[in-house]
Amino acid sequence: MADAEIIKKRRTLQETMNFLAALSAGIEPILGRGANSMTMSAGRNLGRKFSAHAKTTDDLLEALNEVKRVLIENNCLWGFEPFKPAGQAELVTINAQGSRQILLVFRDCMIRQALFRFGHPQMGSLCNMMYGFFAGSLETIMTKKATLEIKHAGENACLKLLTIES
Amino acid sequence: MLEMTIHDKSCRGCRFCLDVCPTDCFVFNEETQKAMVAKVDNCIACLSCTSICPAAAITHRNHHVVANFYRNINFSRRMEKFL
Repeated sequence: MADAEIIKKRRTLQETMNFLAALSAGIEPILGRGANSMTMSAGRNLGRKFSAHAKTTDDLLEALNEVKRVLIENNCLWGFEPFKPAGQAELVTINAQGSRQILLVFRDCMIRQALFRFGHPQMGSLCNMMYGFFAGSLETIMTKKATLEIKHAGENACLKLLTIES
Repeated sequence: MLEMTIHDKSCRGCRFCLDVCPTDCFVFNEETQKAMVAKVDNCIACLSCTSICPAAAITHRNHHVVANFYRNINFSRRMEKFL
């Protein structure tokens, strides 16, 4: 693909993200909590669609690598990496309910950039789209339900907790 | 490797950094009444501490700065019409 074509496509994507950010900021006061379920559902459908031909596995770290590959393959600017706090023995932990959990740090994020561009707050309905994406993608790859809780939304990175239901 | 420093003379001891840090990188020194970096390995470089510090006492080095494609001048020119 020619450089000019890539730049053109990227601009279109950026404008779409800005439009989505404005749209999500607009629907939140009207729909309330319903806005979150709408964006979550949209993200889940996207995750399922993108991961339709991904390799299935039960290994969480392998599944995360697969999600990463799927995102890169579809030109999505959503960089994430597992995070192990000092003092924690293993990357993957088990909670009281027996579900596997892992902390993820999100650095490059199209959503965050779109929100900042127009001064929208973080942790809103558009951030929920990422939760939906992971839920949909891991549902296909691991055939298990997943939740992605935002622990901290920062200016340069976000910390999220991924839980795979047993 | 990521480096995080607190400028001692600038720190006012407000503890905002301790409250905002999601990975508990800071501790408060009761003796000096100033914040201190305790676990730099835990830092995810979210830069919330840098943003919230009223004295701009916290600095990070060698960290990943997010790709800000909105700083692209051509893109910004195109977006001006919406602002």
